[in-house]
Amino acid sequence: MTSTFFGLEIAKRGMFTQQSALSTTAHNVANANTPGYTRQRVNFVQTEPYPPVSKNSPTIPGQLGTGVEAGTVERVREGFLDIQYRSENNKLGYWENRANALEKMEEIMNEPSDTGLSITMDRFWQSLQDLALDPTNAGARSVVRERGVAVAETFNYLATSLKSIQGDLKNELDVSVKQINSLAAQINNINKQISEIEPNGYLPNDLYDERDRLIDQLSSLANVKVSNTKSGGNALDIAEGSVTIEIVDDNGKSLGTLVDGKQKRTNQLSVGYNAQSGLVESVAIGLKEVNVLDFNSTGKISSLIDSYGYTYQSNSTVFEKGLYPDMLGKLDTMAFEFAKQFNQTHSEGWSIEDYNSNTHTPVDFFDFGGTQLTDSKGAASLLSVSQDIINSTDHIAAAYPDSSGAVTIGNSANAIRLAEVKNSTFRIGGETTNFQNYYEGIIGEMAVNSQEATRLTTNSQTLRDSVDGRRQSVSAVSLDEEMTNMIQFQHAYNAAARMITMQDEILDRIINGLGVSGR
Amino acid sequence: MRVTQSMLAANSLRHLSKSYSNMQKYQDQLATGKKINRPSDDPVVAIKGMFYRTNLTEVEQYKRNLNEAYQWMESSEQGIEHATQVTQRIRELLVDGQNGTKSPEDLKAIAVEIGQLKEDLAGVANTQVAGRYIFNGTKTDGKPVTVNDDGTLTFDQNTEAFNVEVSKGVQLKVNVNPTNVFGEDFFNTIQSIEDALNSGDMSNGDQLLGDLDNHFDVMSAERSEIGARYNRLEMIDSRIQDQEIIANRILSENEDADLERVITDLTIQESIHRASLAVGSKVIQPTLIDFLR
Repeated sequence: MTSTFFGLEIAKRGMFTQQSALSTTAHNVANANTPGYTRQRVNFVQTEPYPPVSKNSPTIPGQLGTGVEAGTVERVREGFLDIQYRSENNKLGYWENRANALEKMEEIMNEPSDTGLSITMDRFWQSLQDLALDPTNAGARSVVRERGVAVAETFNYLATSLKSIQGDLKNELDVSVKQINSLAAQINNINKQISEIEPNGYLPNDLYDERDRLIDQLSSLANVKVSNTKSGGNALDIAEGSVTIEIVDDNGKSLGTLVDGKQKRTNQLSVGYNAQSGLVESVAIGLKEVNVLDFNSTGKISSLIDSYGYTYQSNSTVFEKGLYPDMLGKLDTMAFEFAKQFNQTHSEGWSIEDYNSNTHTPVDFFDFGGTQLTDSKGAASLLSVSQDIINSTDHIAAAYPDSSGAVTIGNSANAIRLAEVKNSTFRIGGETTNFQNYYEGIIGEMAVNSQEATRLTTNSQTLRDSVDGRRQSVSAVSLDEEMTNMIQFQHAYNAAARMITMQDEILDRIINGLGVSGR
Repeated sequence: MRVTQSMLAANSLRHLSKSYSNMQKYQDQLATGKKINRPSDDPVVAIKGMFYRTNLTEVEQYKRNLNEAYQWMESSEQGIEHATQVTQRIRELLVDGQNGTKSPEDLKAIAVEIGQLKEDLAGVANTQVAGRYIFNGTKTDGKPVTVNDDGTLTFDQNTEAFNVEVSKGVQLKVNVNPTNVFGEDFFNTIQSIEDALNSGDMSNGDQLLGDLDNHFDVMSAERSEIGARYNRLEMIDSRIQDQEIIANRILSENEDADLERVITDLTIQESIHRASLAVGSKVIQPTLIDFLR
């Protein structure tokens, strides 16, 4: 036999539980536009039936249900979609930054155009042709000098502009490293809070949301692997615990632990620069240092390292790689070889000065601003027209000794030979090619790289958006659904209230209606 | 699939931004008239563009070189023509002088004219174009023939070819061999004629006539040769002009936007954009709330 007030108790539990569901609905509606918010639901559970199975329990036919209670308030979220989202977001972070870096490079190189290096070289060639037509004309000589200066300055401009963007990339890299460390610190704080709440049997849903949002941000910067550590105490089975975040390489091998969920501490990520070249040499996570070559982990950080440039040693040879160092290196090679070949031809020719003094003094047309370069490094930024030529255009060697070895002032054979340097085949940077083709090759490679980066940016963006769509589909708040739930819970609440009225009538009958027979 | 309000909003925004980026692409193409604005838009077009530009610059330069070549050849030819006329006049005077009826005074008068013609020839030999002596090989800064105060001549002739590059790797000689036109022998023959006339002894007249005719032949041969080279120059000229048209056309075909097509694409894109804006405005649909009491 159950107690007199048994039904009242069931109805009361019903009202309480529906009310908590209504509160949760209100919370969902209120947070419909909160970034990273995951809709929550109340897990309704039936309370223990009466009578329980025990030694002195009363014997009644069957067990009676005792109503409902709010078990837990849980997030509706699919962990697998998070992993997918982070993986795509990570690739997007890499390609987006690479595309940006290449886009800036394209803007600097500015080809094909009427102002780039290619056209400047063409104009220089033109001025030499004009000189060949009229080798004694001071005007034609000045034009050769000025166009030569333009070639040198275009090389200088390209090199300095590339270096300046490279500097910006370094700043961006440093800022991104700070961002990673800041995100790691925030996640660590949330870990601490969560591990204080969970042992009490609660689910800190809003902290989970915040933590997932931070991990999403982190995933665009570096390739992360997330694993969970249970909080001890009275934590629920569905509690998520603390997260441990490792930075992993492309094969999933851990490069170091950024956030340690067990120890509740973080390891600082830092980038080590080479003292000489200033390029990235190593990446350290806490005390664990990784050689830059082993840090092949996608994400914004590694994209910035690729663009800015990195250096490594192999068989005691120092290599400098990366988008910007490669481009600068190629420009250097081109400037160096062009100056070398042009000077070679130029020094074989006779200038007006030589003709007047009747002695052949080899003069260089280009030099490197007084610096003697042993290899091509830095050539593009140093290239200039030699002081001899700047001082007097009479030093321009347009004449070439004729078959008899005699030199005349109107001879312009060397001017034609100089013009031909641009189109003649040499060994440039390990390739047998001419300067025109070599430069076209540089631009072509850059263009293909940039095109690839842009294409993959679009691809990974599409994929990420599609995963995000699925995630939104699972976790975002649908107002229609909340309204439907609201009606459902409200009606259940009303019905429970009606049950109390009904109980009231029953009790009224017992208390006021009984024991007055024959009245 | 469960569709939420935030999904609709995000999708609608994404499509709008995609549509904007397409419109931007077409507007860039219209504004610049170029298919590509950066190499990565189409690496092959970009590389070809660089190559064709260089090609065009070269063709334009060769056209400029041709003008110079024309100037040299025409001036040279004119000089030779003048020299031919003068030589003919000398020949007439010599034949006239050989006529036995002339008195020594008459012969002296003829000699004076021949002396003048000789100096005229020296003047032609020293023809300058833009400050350069064209009948002196590559030694363009020096007079090939100098008339001294005593009427004698000094020679300093250079016979090197002055070459002009008229197309890639093709050089054309644009001057004449001055010794064939205004050579020392030629002037010596004229001097001998003048001397003979002055002395009144015309016994070697026939031999002088023969010498003069020989020089005349050499001069004519030189003139034919320059004529032939002039023809070649004209042929190269017409080829270069064709090349210029082709180079321009290829450059344009390679990278110029097909305007009709871009305008059509843009118009289509605009209507798509209007449609997605219209759809976007429907994203905020009435929810169940609007129908609840």
